[in-house]
Amino acid sequence: MAILKTASELGELRGKILSERESARPCLTVCSGTGCHAVGCERVSAALQDELIKQKLNKDVDLRRTGCHGFCEKGPIVMIRPNEICYLRVRPEDASDIVSQTIKEGRIVDRLIYKDPITGAKIAHESDIPFYKNQKRIILDNNRKIDPMSIEDYIALGGYSALAKVLSTFTPQQVLDEIKKSNLRGRGGGGFPTGIKWETTRNAPGDLKYVIVNCDEGDPGAYMDRSLMEGNPHLIIEGLIIGAYTIGSHEGFIYVRQEYPLAVKNTEIAIEQAGKYGFLGENILGSAFNFKIKIHRGAGAFVSGESSALMSAIEGKVGEPRPKYVHTSVKGIWDRPSNLNNVETWATVPLIINNGSDWFNKIGTEGSKGTKIFSLVGKVNNTGLVEVPMGMTIREIVYKIGGGIPNGKKFKAVQTGGPSGGCIPEKFLDLPVDFDALTKVGSMMGSGGLIVMDEDNCMVDTARYFANFLADESCGKCTPCREGLRQICKIMNALVAGKATKDDLESLQDLCEVLRDASLCMLGQSAPNPVLSTLTYFRDEYDAHIKGVCPAKVCKALVTYHIDPEKCQACGLCLKNCPVEAISGEKGIVHIIDQEKCIKCDSCYDICPDKFGAVIKISGEKAPPIVPPGTKMKRKG
Amino acid sequence: MEKNKSKYVGVRITDEQASILSRLQEDSKLSKTEILLKGLTFLDEFYSLGLDNRPLNDELNALESEALHYAAELKRVRKREEAIRDLIQQLHHIDRIVDKYHCDRSALIQILLDIQAENYWLPRHALMWVSERLGVPMSQIRQITTFYKTFYLKPRGEHLVRVCLGTACHVRGGPRILERAENVLGIKVGETTEDMKFTLESVNCLGCCALGPVMVVDEEYHGNLAISKVEKVLSKYT
Repeated sequence: MAILKTASELGELRGKILSERESARPCLTVCSGTGCHAVGCERVSAALQDELIKQKLNKDVDLRRTGCHGFCEKGPIVMIRPNEICYLRVRPEDASDIVSQTIKEGRIVDRLIYKDPITGAKIAHESDIPFYKNQKRIILDNNRKIDPMSIEDYIALGGYSALAKVLSTFTPQQVLDEIKKSNLRGRGGGGFPTGIKWETTRNAPGDLKYVIVNCDEGDPGAYMDRSLMEGNPHLIIEGLIIGAYTIGSHEGFIYVRQEYPLAVKNTEIAIEQAGKYGFLGENILGSAFNFKIKIHRGAGAFVSGESSALMSAIEGKVGEPRPKYVHTSVKGIWDRPSNLNNVETWATVPLIINNGSDWFNKIGTEGSKGTKIFSLVGKVNNTGLVEVPMGMTIREIVYKIGGGIPNGKKFKAVQTGGPSGGCIPEKFLDLPVDFDALTKVGSMMGSGGLIVMDEDNCMVDTARYFANFLADESCGKCTPCREGLRQICKIMNALVAGKATKDDLESLQDLCEVLRDASLCMLGQSAPNPVLSTLTYFRDEYDAHIKGVCPAKVCKALVTYHIDPEKCQACGLCLKNCPVEAISGEKGIVHIIDQEKCIKCDSCYDICPDKFGAVIKISGEKAPPIVPPGTKMKRKG
Repeated sequence: MEKNKSKYVGVRITDEQASILSRLQEDSKLSKTEILLKGLTFLDEFYSLGLDNRPLNDELNALESEALHYAAELKRVRKREEAIRDLIQQLHHIDRIVDKYHCDRSALIQILLDIQAENYWLPRHALMWVSERLGVPMSQIRQITTFYKTFYLKPRGEHLVRVCLGTACHVRGGPRILERAENVLGIKVGETTEDMKFTLESVNCLGCCALGPVMVVDEEYHGNLAISKVEKVLSKYT
């Protein structure tokens, strides 16, 4: 590895790497994102390695561990190039078939390919699977092609060419103009125009300026930043260097949650490798520009994702927000101009430089250009990371890409924007998703979590969940947020316990308005969104809770568990699994739940075989007839 | 006892001793922390030579009680020699970490994270040593260690059980998994079992939402977990 001194040396290096690699050579890529890690991709790739050695193919076939492919639901994922065959839910036992049949003979292993849940059609090629077919992957695309620990993989795909282009042919002003022309808006949630933010920091007085990557992805239900940071760290680093050059900064920080150990590790490796090739350090690519990056691990505080809080955390202090009469882009870390952008924003920068702002402007809607990565999770068939052009409707995302709701349940709502966002009801299914449209319906883009909820989810409980989450994460600095959230929680907890009154709903509304108007930072200002949006769109559920009924049968205090004597097959499963021995019965005798003892843990409901469906949850309805103990069961069918 | 000040790693020294210490420091050109470490090492050697445990002076005596206090925090009764040796080793570890960050105060959070990565939790003497080395007041360290969720100020169980309560896991029944885990382990969230085997925690999102509901034991993920499986999963670790 030698330090590259010119842009053309980078081109030569790329040519050399490519010439050493045969593109026709078969390559097995195993997804090693966190989702697949959790389901054992390590064992799969070890088994594939062993199998290749066993069948004496290890010299002719590449095995590569890549970042997240996105289709986490079906992990571990194995892709075979060059014919792009995609195997899902691969087990270590499948390794020998994959090597002997697919690699050696070019046959497809039928049981491992995608099967359409509705039509039953089998699809072998990744690009034909509806989950992938309907996406537009410009940022995530390389995630599945490169080994995140190999800078050569990144360079082979044209990595750092945007940086070379900028350093050799652009002035900082020209880069800024290009970014402004692209209309790129911050992907972290607020959607602030990136170009204007950069310009503010660039024009702010002071010699020392900082650029920061915000990878403090605290929104529960969102994990695209993690996947990008883990799967393609060089893309973010390249974007950051370009930003630093534009702004005139010589020191950057990457703030990563320490809950993401793999992201920390891959970023550390990437920074080291970038330094060895001279993309970081002094006189980058022979220019007069110097830049270095430090990693700061966040120690677990949701509010630290807020820009001023994040900056004080980098200073080694408690991550609390401060009033922003003066923006952080003017006075940030140690009161010096600091430009903070989200992971996805930085990752988009090299693409805009390479392809031009006109290309970027062709994607998306009027006010929101480009693509956005969403983590499509919750009650949806195909969960995973999806990248779609701005303006795609929620219906298309949930049904075309997500494959609809599992078990034939009914769609109820989609929650976007994490704890600061809101719940969007069915009537807005055809809403095009972009920054402005989401705000209009009382939610927000946030970092891009899309949590689908079905008829079994209680909206009051969901709002309570967010209120509790935020009360827990409020730093306590300003009174409206600290005390307001406590009061909101009190009412929400009373609601789910069936102890709230109509007046409480009015107080709830008032509290929300105060919080929105008077809180210091966005955490407090947006905290009422989950409550207000559910209160607007799902008022009937609130009213039901006041009457002591939870329509979705989620809120424990309002639900009772019963065994339908007509359906019980006396199999003893629920009886064995009850942690408090509240169920009585024996072979051939209908089981009965003792309501005094029942702790409503859901165990029996969960374990009762679907074909019986004898355990039922009841809220506000009439309970099934009580049978005397010792009643014989009625055999079905 | 008002004159006594707790200056070094929980060691109470009198003004007189403080002046001896500063004289020693002037003579030997060592930092105060180095002298204290030397004192501890000396105490360790003193025991290893098999001499009786007659206190050398108040200062070493106090160091010894700190070491024993540390042993007690671990809920383990051990030989005092071992306890002292461990304490010395730990302080050396901390020194190494602090030096790695060039004694930079702004690296405080990073230093604490590194100490915790090695030790699993942050004992009082470790925090005091960091405070001494960086010149950051103890109050600020306390503020940081209580503000951020990651830091443990109490010993942690052998196995860390984390149940995800992120939104995606919440809608798929995460809270019921947590409840079941509480029942199985017989502790509430945030607590450690009496035998120090398990610590149970909830987390806000582990970033593997596609697998919800998720429970993580140590580094092993258990995704799409059914309530009825919780006990079986946990029993693997006992």
